[in-house]
Amino acid sequence: MEKTAKEKFRLGIFVVAGTILIVLAAYLIGNQQHIFGNTFTLHTTFKNVNGLQKGNNVRYAGINIGTVKDIEMINDTAISVAMLIQNKMLPHIKKNALATIGSDGLVGSMIINIVPGQGEASLVKPETMISSYSRVATADMLNTLSVTNENAALLLQDLLRISGSMNSNTGAIGRLLNEPEMAEDLQETLRNLRLASENTAMMMKELGTVIGKYNIEQSVASTVFSDSIAGAKLRLTIDHLENSSVHLHSVATQLDAMVGEIKEGKGAINYLSTDTVLVGHLERTVQNLDQGMYRFNQNMEALQHNFLTRGYFRKLERKKAKSEKSRD
Amino acid sequence: MTLEFTKNIRQFFIEIGELSYFAGRFFREAVKPPFEFKELLRQCYQMGNRSLVLVLVTSFIIGLVLDLQSRPTMEQFGAVSMMPNMVGISIVRELGPVITALVCAGRIASGIGAELGSMRVTEQIDAMEVSGTNPFKYLVVTRVMATTLMLPLLVILGDGLALYGSALVEYFKGAVSFQLYFTTVFDALSYGDLIPATAKSFFFGFAIGLVGCYKGYYCKKGTAGVGVAANTAVVFTSMVLFVIDFVAVFISDIFYDL
Amino acid sequence: MKRETHSIRTNAQEDLEREVIIDIRDLYKSFGKVHVLKGFNMKLYKGENLVVMGKSGSGKSVMIKCLIGLIKPDSGYISVMNNEIKTLNRETLDTLRSDIGFLFQGSALYDSMTVRENLEFPMRRHKKKLGPLTDTTPLVLEALESVGLADAIDLMPAELSGGMKRRVALARTLILQPKIILYDEPTSGLDPITSKEIIELMLRIQAKYGTSSLIITHDVDCARVISDRMILLVDGINYAEGTYEDLITSADPKVEAFFKK
Repeated sequence: MEKTAKEKFRLGIFVVAGTILIVLAAYLIGNQQHIFGNTFTLHTTFKNVNGLQKGNNVRYAGINIGTVKDIEMINDTAISVAMLIQNKMLPHIKKNALATIGSDGLVGSMIINIVPGQGEASLVKPETMISSYSRVATADMLNTLSVTNENAALLLQDLLRISGSMNSNTGAIGRLLNEPEMAEDLQETLRNLRLASENTAMMMKELGTVIGKYNIEQSVASTVFSDSIAGAKLRLTIDHLENSSVHLHSVATQLDAMVGEIKEGKGAINYLSTDTVLVGHLERTVQNLDQGMYRFNQNMEALQHNFLTRGYFRKLERKKAKSEKSRD
Repeated sequence: MTLEFTKNIRQFFIEIGELSYFAGRFFREAVKPPFEFKELLRQCYQMGNRSLVLVLVTSFIIGLVLDLQSRPTMEQFGAVSMMPNMVGISIVRELGPVITALVCAGRIASGIGAELGSMRVTEQIDAMEVSGTNPFKYLVVTRVMATTLMLPLLVILGDGLALYGSALVEYFKGAVSFQLYFTTVFDALSYGDLIPATAKSFFFGFAIGLVGCYKGYYCKKGTAGVGVAANTAVVFTSMVLFVIDFVAVFISDIFYDL
Repeated sequence: MKRETHSIRTNAQEDLEREVIIDIRDLYKSFGKVHVLKGFNMKLYKGENLVVMGKSGSGKSVMIKCLIGLIKPDSGYISVMNNEIKTLNRETLDTLRSDIGFLFQGSALYDSMTVRENLEFPMRRHKKKLGPLTDTTPLVLEALESVGLADAIDLMPAELSGGMKRRVALARTLILQPKIILYDEPTSGLDPITSKEIIELMLRIQAKYGTSSLIITHDVDCARVISDRMILLVDGINYAEGTYEDLITSADPKVEAFFKK
């Protein structure tokens, strides 16, 4: 029973070494737990693996299903990645599945996400090659952001140079913009516009009173007005008119504001250089205004010729003539 | 200096080897009849009873303190509602078994070391041998088996009280009801947490009993020998416990993912 | 190596006449580099009280433990009642041990058990010898009465005095009715009066049960009273043998040193 010190010493070394081996083995197994065969291999290629390492997890729809077995450079644009996947995932992964590289949280290690593909496809078999998709991961996004920033800085420099040359009056654009006469012309145009819009507003008011009178006067026309097809047409016309007038009004206000700004500024250049979009806007507004005026006139004419209102207008004319006569 | 160092290293390995032979003898004797069932039951009662109050009080305080100490950090992250999960998992996986085992190392291993040591010194072990009772079977096997069986029970009781201590803090500081606390804890725990921890407790219990018995059984003559046996039993047991814990963490890592 | 040639011759003559119970020849035992026994020889005859005397650390206790199989000797021949110890397996050794009583130096009562349980303990494994027992109490009481301590049956060892402990221990060795009793320092740690009581008790038991006794002691008074024959253990060998009277008159300085007051 009694053992010599030498035997004890040997056993002691054996036990300590054994313990260390067990720890090592447990560590290795824990790290590559799919080492024991009930796994199959899938392959994919990436252009960039973003720091993926052997042993990183592979996820399918968010579930850990395996680990990265091998990463191999094929050529300068393709890196082949082999993945060990648990066998129980065989009936779930289809051939059109996509492998993407993502990260496990903002600062986490890299992982491969296998995303189910769109539509129908047959199931994968071991050693299948599935396609990959380079999605912008967090790291990528940050990279892109920094590139965008650099571009923006370059753009700003260019703009500065252009505006500098504009101010220095060299070149056609600069001269054009800096002529004070141009500004006056523009101002004049705008003033006219305003006048037109004021007139329109006045006309609208008159039309309103006309229609109000129609309603109050219980004439034959009013009954027709309320239930005949022609009445409906008329109402539509009036609606159009109203819309046009609202439009006109808003244009007028905008113009007002613009003119105010121009007045405050030293010339057209100021206005134009602060906002180039507005120039386009202004152009369109003027066009709209033109159109509005034209349509308004058309509407008014149509109203005059309508058989229902014709009488009113005639009456109006007669009254006018009468009053002129009586004045005379 | 170097000579002393190599001598110490050698002595360390000899001690490990001796303990291994002792463990081997334990297994040989444990499976051979006759079995000392009555003494085993008596020892189980002794081991459980002797350290029950100590384990319960220590665990309760550990649960309380752990919760109080980690609460401010969790508050910083705005994750106070995760407190039961965090405390529950750390207690069940690691702190419960280790704290209980360390308390028992201090209580039981030293007790066994002193008891067997004094029996060795006063020749009671020889007297047993002479009167036809195998002292190894009667003293060592029963004690080691008793600690192996009782420690998991003590760990479970300790875990329970530690969780209760933590729940108490949550109740008063976080207005978390006991029901909510324990529902959250049991939601967070899985068999993958419980089984390795329980398996680990068996090994802890085995180590406590074995080292205590080993130190007492081979106690040097004289009254000083008993003191040395009791003292080194605690030190050696604690060391072995940490080694076992270290190995267990690596091995149970494999199981957590299952 | 100097030996009492005369004694050895006597020894050889006695050998023919009387039955040898214990025979030890050329016993060697060393612990590390300390050689404790260096060729010890001894014979115990049936019915005699043999005292082995020696200084502390001279290897008396080691010799007696080799005898009962607690320590394995390095070499040498030991036989007890014609059974060679080292050839015995555990079971036959236990059977042999049930015929040998051993009174330990410090009494070696089990601290965690009562006196009754202490006495019952040897019976756990030796039921074969005693036959089926339903009630051990009469046997326990009988053994306790023979040492005069029947009242102490339910006390714990911690509640007993040194002398009482020694008596209980003696009762425990008697409970299996052994043929040989080995006494390891029966009077150590006791006051002279208690020592005397214990020695008288030993003699009474000797008379009552007819046992052969091997007594190890360094107490000269004890040796004088109890010994039929004595062996002096010096330097790991049986240095001198003879009756108390033979040895006390010896001119050998090493022998004289034992009896000098």
